[in-house]
Amino acid sequence: MTAKGKDKTAEGEAKVAVYICHCGGNISDQVDVEKLEAMAKEFPGVTVARRDMFMCSDPGQNKIIEDLKSGAADRVVIASCSPSLHETTFRNAVMRAGVNPYMYEHANIREQCSWVHHGEAATRKAAGLVAAAVGKARHLKPLESIRMDAVDHVTVVGGGISGLKSARDLAMRGLKVTLIEKTPFLGGNVAQLDRLFPTNEPAAELLQEVVDEVRARPEIEVLTCAELTESEGYVGNFTLKVTRTPPTGEEECERLRTVEAAGAGEGRFVPFVGILPEAVPATEETREISTGAVVLATGFRHYSPPKGLYGYGEHPEVITLPDLIRLMAEKEDTGGMLEVNGRPIKSMAMIRCVGSRQIPGIHEPDENGNLNEHCSRACCTATLQADREIKEKYPETVIYDFYRDIRAYGRGHEEFYVGASQDGVLFLRFEPDGPPVVGPASDPDYALSVMAKDTLLSGQELDVPVDLVVLSVGMVPSDVSGLIDKMKLPVGADRFLLEVHPKLRPVELANTGVLLAGTCQAPMDSTEASEGATAAAVKAAALLAKGHVELDPYVATVNTELCEGTGACVAECPHPGCVTLVDAPEGKGKKAEINPALCTGCGMCVAVCPNVAIEVNGWTLRQYEAMVDAIVALPATKELVEA
Amino acid sequence: MTTQEYPQFDTLVLGAGIAGLQTALDLAEQGFQVAIVERDPSIGGKMIRLSKVFPTLDCASCITTPKMAAAAHHPNITLFTYCELNGVERTGSGLKASVTQKPRYVDPDKCTGCRSCEYACPTFVPDHEQGGFTSRKAIYVPFSNAVPQKAVMDPENCWICGKDGGQCVQVCATDAINYFDKPEDFTLEARSMVLATGYELIPDYSEKAFGPASQHPNLITSLQMERLLAPHGPYMRALRPSDGKEPDSIAFIQCAGSRDLNLGVSYCSRVCCMYSIKQAMLLSGALPLADITIYYMDIRAFGKNYEQFFQNAKAMGVEFVKAKPMVIGGTEDGAVRLRYEDQEGGGGGMTREHDLVVQALAMVPAWNPEGVVDVSTATDGFIKSVKPKIAPTLTDMDGVFTAGVAAGPKDIVDTIVEAGAAAMEVSNYLNQEALVAAE
Amino acid sequence: MQRRESAPKILILATEDCAYPGANSVGQAHLSYGENTYILRTREPAMFPERFYLDCFDKGIAGIIIMSCGVECPYEGAYDALAKRVDGVYRQMKERGLDIRRLRLTAICTVCNRAFLNEVKNMNQVVTELGLPGEEIREAVIA
Repeated sequence: MTAKGKDKTAEGEAKVAVYICHCGGNISDQVDVEKLEAMAKEFPGVTVARRDMFMCSDPGQNKIIEDLKSGAADRVVIASCSPSLHETTFRNAVMRAGVNPYMYEHANIREQCSWVHHGEAATRKAAGLVAAAVGKARHLKPLESIRMDAVDHVTVVGGGISGLKSARDLAMRGLKVTLIEKTPFLGGNVAQLDRLFPTNEPAAELLQEVVDEVRARPEIEVLTCAELTESEGYVGNFTLKVTRTPPTGEEECERLRTVEAAGAGEGRFVPFVGILPEAVPATEETREISTGAVVLATGFRHYSPPKGLYGYGEHPEVITLPDLIRLMAEKEDTGGMLEVNGRPIKSMAMIRCVGSRQIPGIHEPDENGNLNEHCSRACCTATLQADREIKEKYPETVIYDFYRDIRAYGRGHEEFYVGASQDGVLFLRFEPDGPPVVGPASDPDYALSVMAKDTLLSGQELDVPVDLVVLSVGMVPSDVSGLIDKMKLPVGADRFLLEVHPKLRPVELANTGVLLAGTCQAPMDSTEASEGATAAAVKAAALLAKGHVELDPYVATVNTELCEGTGACVAECPHPGCVTLVDAPEGKGKKAEINPALCTGCGMCVAVCPNVAIEVNGWTLRQYEAMVDAIVALPATKELVEA
Repeated sequence: MTTQEYPQFDTLVLGAGIAGLQTALDLAEQGFQVAIVERDPSIGGKMIRLSKVFPTLDCASCITTPKMAAAAHHPNITLFTYCELNGVERTGSGLKASVTQKPRYVDPDKCTGCRSCEYACPTFVPDHEQGGFTSRKAIYVPFSNAVPQKAVMDPENCWICGKDGGQCVQVCATDAINYFDKPEDFTLEARSMVLATGYELIPDYSEKAFGPASQHPNLITSLQMERLLAPHGPYMRALRPSDGKEPDSIAFIQCAGSRDLNLGVSYCSRVCCMYSIKQAMLLSGALPLADITIYYMDIRAFGKNYEQFFQNAKAMGVEFVKAKPMVIGGTEDGAVRLRYEDQEGGGGGMTREHDLVVQALAMVPAWNPEGVVDVSTATDGFIKSVKPKIAPTLTDMDGVFTAGVAAGPKDIVDTIVEAGAAAMEVSNYLNQEALVAAE
Repeated sequence: MQRRESAPKILILATEDCAYPGANSVGQAHLSYGENTYILRTREPAMFPERFYLDCFDKGIAGIIIMSCGVECPYEGAYDALAKRVDGVYRQMKERGLDIRRLRLTAICTVCNRAFLNEVKNMNQVVTELGLPGEEIREAVIA
């Protein structure tokens, strides 16, 4: 699969051609290129040494092609500028000569020689670099990039907005998709919303549109009440087991009854439930899915405040923001005042950062020892949106909004902040170590009192009477511990799934072929979750659209003649399943075996092998040893240049 | 350069910053043919000019260079650097872009990037790439990791120094220099387009906000601070521009032009809180004894691990003051004087001096499509999205998409995500279009 | 002059993502450093077993600088493994009576020109002070 055939050109037979570039004086002004050429001819294994004013030019490249075609050489060393500039150029030239493009090694005698050393020293250094490159070149082997057939199918885990959007995008791209949702419903947390900021469009319309598209697509199979129970394989070729279970949970059954009562039928949105795409399964069933990539869109759940936090669970007038959104959406609009439990809300308090931005030493960890140090990102503008809606519908209601920072960062978000201020919402700032205190009302006309220090009014003590306290609760990841175990997924300190690189590769996991969509990676609003889902889809499309996965050839390989099956490599490899011990033929014990699809070529296994039985193609320890040998063999004195 | 005919591309990406590069790579990886048109002589955009990035403190150059190299070497990507887009018109189901190659005065096919011309050139010009703090030559490779590594001449400053042409001409080993280079117009055809045109810092805020005091040499912009902090920056360390002194006291003014409709723009520029905190952290590493103050309105550390980064900065001793200061002048020893309303400490006007003051200036669009591409902009001046909730990369022109800051301020990670999303939308557009054509 | 020309050799293992382009950046700036340095491009120096370093010293390499990507290492777990390995090499060097300053693990980024030059300068001081590793080699050179 990797290095083709045997090492037929053993070191002794290797015929190396060395080409030295003048770079129009950039190299030749410092390096005595004629001398270097003469010296290179004497290096072991070198059959041809030539020079050119510009090796990257056509005449320069033609020299390489001629020598390889004539059989004067079977591999080349090019001594010129940094390989980052022309490595591709020279590989292509070698390939045009009908030779494997990896039969080429580079000596950087410009950036790392003639531009940093002068005169004789530069020539001496160049000789060392060329000698080392020749040393390595004698051990080069032809390499082929690794091609593996890939299943043109993606499994999306999670039927919220991210999962739906990913599935739709992948299907449009021509890939087959299985969408797995744990509950009987599609829509996830967006189904629990009324209108979406900043456009104020109804969540119902957006979800209905996407679900209609998903259901209309023949490429997409939707499995509700389903969980991923087993996973094995690697990019392009995963085998998953999915188990569907008839719903038994109280909340789910309640929601199913709501759908029935609404007479909504399959595929129609029901507020605060979602969309039931099909009848729930009557019996438990498990099926196997062959899939090329997995998109995780397992979402978030709202932080659930412990009893007593800001009076939550003690006073019925203390509710969460999701509660308020539902209350307002379900209230018949009769004008007058907002009423909660029959009590008109003359005045209310919003308290932000509940379960977010927690600070060690100030906030109490939960019963599992977790602290939510992260910002939940979406709650600031969501709270502003609620502020504005209340002010619009019930202008009489006084709103005190207790905040730490107002994070209305997104496009169109600041307008909500400006608008809420203009609407007369009173913003009161608190420090994390001096949060508001919710207690019994000091004014009998009201339900509760909120006591606080406003840091912007020089710490003035406030006692505001309110009829309702709304806690702007943050986001925590859904419980996906089962999935984390089964798929060996990396998790961050914040308990969200951990991307490969937080800056450059935010939708990819270290497990190649497993992608992240939406809030399973970090808190985000529905816009950002949709975009993340689309970005995850493009990564899956790039992996699978060609029908095969192509990987670079720099992966580990095992020399089974040398391998003694110690398993040291298996223990050292950071990628589960990449190196395994398998039974050797004819009962010759165990031998290591590499799954190139999982190998990143880091070489950590090479370092621990007691027998140099495992090597990374193209970067072998033997090659490095040959380079060191060539460097030390070179006399470090003047005679070298004078010889 | 000879005028060349190009086959139709699947996508034309306008702008080779991180948004454009990522979009192009995500398309090219699927096999689509992509042309990238970039105004600057090098690709890399704003990101390659940064020092380190939050919250990981990765070296910006180290993580941008591989993307630039990947785009430059990708068989499905063609780069058109130092090119201006003049107009785009629809032809059937495709787009026809008229482009002008600006004269480099250096033949890129011959130039080896050796910089001999640059060393020989006797003319020094303030180097915009280094925040204007140091000089470059009139012929120069834009910066150390520029792609392509090719020289460009700036005709405004070249005075053709020698008798038989300039000294650059005499030293150039490949005869690459051509004083008679001219702009060249050509046409690119593509089936779709992505606008990834990025941002600039608001140009006139300081003047409007602080009047003559805005001219103080130690009152600098956030992007200038990025250069001061970069390991390959103008002084290779963080020094005060006026006199090269190590600053003992550094201040950041947040929302300089953002969230300020009177003097700037109404929106939040979204990244300034985090990059100022990052700059403060880097400064406190480089100058452990310096006092660092951030004057802010709200700290918007909303992204993954951003809040934790902010709390670390507080723990490290960076001072956060809720205020919006005015620059009112300088002191004799070169410090910048600020006045602000002390909102938390009992009110009243306060005056403070800092050796170096950084303005976190608002981001404004770097490009206006008017008269070039028939897409609308929103009231904020950025490209308008027609499906802002579910598909923010869709513009109001069929087959034209947008990504990154062109569609509103955002940080690098959100830009990368959006670039991926744009690439997916483009792929699906191209696929659907092909299906329709087949029917 | 003669002394400089016989300066003991220093091996630099430079990662292709960070330190190798970093060394190029030093070249692009035309800064200068000792030519007794041999930069080998690596994907990830965690691949080298402890004996590789010891063999290098045995062969006559006087100093080795591992220029890694540090915490920016793109390979999962590799930097920790590398640091652990270097500790192991230090132990063995001590056992053999080799000065552990001959081996240095550092992180160099793509534009860290000053840091690169400092590392080379410091290692040159070390190898100038210590000479070649092992008496037998030193004697051989004198002879």
